[in-house]
Amino acid sequence: MQTVLKQKIAATGNSKSNTGRIGVLLLVLVVIFILSFTLGRYSVPPSQLLQVLGAQILPLEKNWGDTVETVIFQVRLPRILAAIMIGAALSAAGAAYQGMFKNPLVSPDILGASAGAGFGAALGIYFAMSMVGVQIMAFIGGLVAVALTYGISLRIKHDPMLALVLSGIMIGSLFTAAISCIKYIADPYDKLPAITFWLMGSLASINLQDIYMVVTPIMVGMIVLFLLRWRLNVMAMGEEEAQVLGLNTRRLKTIVILCCTLMTAASVSIGGLIGWVGLVIPHLARMIVGPNYRVLLPASILLGGAYLLLVDDMARLLASMEIPLGILTALIGVPFFLYLLLNSKWGWK
Amino acid sequence: MKLKLDNLSCGYGQRKVLENISLEINGGEVIGLLGANGCGKTTLIKSILGLLPTQGGEVLLDGKNIKRWTSAQIARVVGYIPQMHTPPFPFEVLDVVLMGRTAHINPFASPSSKDVKIAEQALEMLNITYLRNRIYTEISGGERQLVLIARALAQEPKILIMDEPTSSLDFGNQIKVLSHVKQLAGLNLAILMSCHFPEHAFLYSNRVVLLNEGRILHSGTPGETITAERLKTLYGVEVEIVSVINRLNKELKVCIPSGYFRPEIDLAQISATERNYALANY
Repeated sequence: MQTVLKQKIAATGNSKSNTGRIGVLLLVLVVIFILSFTLGRYSVPPSQLLQVLGAQILPLEKNWGDTVETVIFQVRLPRILAAIMIGAALSAAGAAYQGMFKNPLVSPDILGASAGAGFGAALGIYFAMSMVGVQIMAFIGGLVAVALTYGISLRIKHDPMLALVLSGIMIGSLFTAAISCIKYIADPYDKLPAITFWLMGSLASINLQDIYMVVTPIMVGMIVLFLLRWRLNVMAMGEEEAQVLGLNTRRLKTIVILCCTLMTAASVSIGGLIGWVGLVIPHLARMIVGPNYRVLLPASILLGGAYLLLVDDMARLLASMEIPLGILTALIGVPFFLYLLLNSKWGWK
Repeated sequence: MKLKLDNLSCGYGQRKVLENISLEINGGEVIGLLGANGCGKTTLIKSILGLLPTQGGEVLLDGKNIKRWTSAQIARVVGYIPQMHTPPFPFEVLDVVLMGRTAHINPFASPSSKDVKIAEQALEMLNITYLRNRIYTEISGGERQLVLIARALAQEPKILIMDEPTSSLDFGNQIKVLSHVKQLAGLNLAILMSCHFPEHAFLYSNRVVLLNEGRILHSGTPGETITAERLKTLYGVEVEIVSVINRLNKELKVCIPSGYFRPEIDLAQISATERNYALANY
């Protein structure tokens, strides 16, 4: 009886500490969010930042130049928002896929979304489309690649999850080859570098227009995943078992793929290829709050947003020249992932 | 509630594995399903659960054909206990048991305190409340099997289907799991259990169904159904069935593989190797 009581206390303590942990993650995100406004070539002291932000709602006397407002609202705000949204979206998609495929080594581009988006963008740049045109092409490219993957997997009479992963790898490779093909024929002085830089991933030229464009697909995907998050636990037990437990696995699978693809394609379309976030962050989140998607998904979202914002700040500040974000996320993500594998209690077996 | 299979045929794609399977299970009964590896026990179970489309005949729950039922509708009546397995993520035991509530929870919701209560009752029924906050992937195989039974109970089903629930368990855990199965039948659940050992069928089932070459070879009470001859047809080995009286003065039947040691074999007539083998088996 006493042990039972002790465990009950432990259990409630556990769920409470998880709420606390989510709170800490939220706080970390908010702190990095505020700090990010002050960091940069043009320095904005925190006190001034608070005044400028405060002036948006309160009638404060304006004792700063227009440049400060431009830097805060036109330059840094869109970039900060984009980093948070993309980091959160890729991490949520990665976490959802890892459960659905019962495999902790899966990332959001497993079904070819990134390769497809990269191909769309490369094609857009090759045909000298406007920035918006390139973004739309990238978004469509991501959707088309995943639609192909999904369509092909339905025709494979075999383990449906394995069929999805296999056709995803095939379609991804196909689009990667197509990207190389476009690079090969592209003008080497003008378009080839543009394609190469785009593929490296960067948030340097994000403006508010870009944010308006991707906020809907990202938010729709994220909210639907958030609402369905408990069911992802059941899905992680395997498709057949989930179905026997009463889950409409086919429908859930389609919805999850749709949400993840919307989020990933939208992210890639404005930020380029940003790897490793969607693989590393869900792991880190699992170590902090455990594998239950009820808390794992929100934790991944908060942690992913904070992480990518921090890395993007580093991309802006570390060198005199902007470092492509995709390179930094890999340079930081891979050693960090190896560290997790070697040194800590895994969030999975 | 009554589960009835009426002339069921099932298999994969065009390939027929089982034909003309008719069978009835009522609340409070444990039916043991015996047959060699690959005889179609798992295929039959998958077809009943709706994981495989049936090729002919009907699965009826209280007289209603469940062919068009959704997975949630089936899950509210039929609980399933798979063979022991390990999921890739270290869920807490309570979270695993709560998954049994899936069919009762609105798609956009998480389990409520009422669901937690039902899951806790299921743990209590199997005397494993102490596992509540343990990590499912870190407990023993026997405990994990009991957790899976608790999860099926949290579904509040009328029918339980078990696919070799004791495979890969040690001797003690096999007995523990099976005694819980008997206890559950006492709660008026109808239980269909495939098993490897004829002795388990003797001890824990009211009726047995012998599957052989895609058909039911025989079904009935364990005592009259499990004979040495039928076991030879099923498994291709010689078996002696021996009656023993236990200390409660109850007659129990035990199967003993007899190898070459058969009365009709004249030890003088067989080769030296065979003789050694026969003696070793004796």
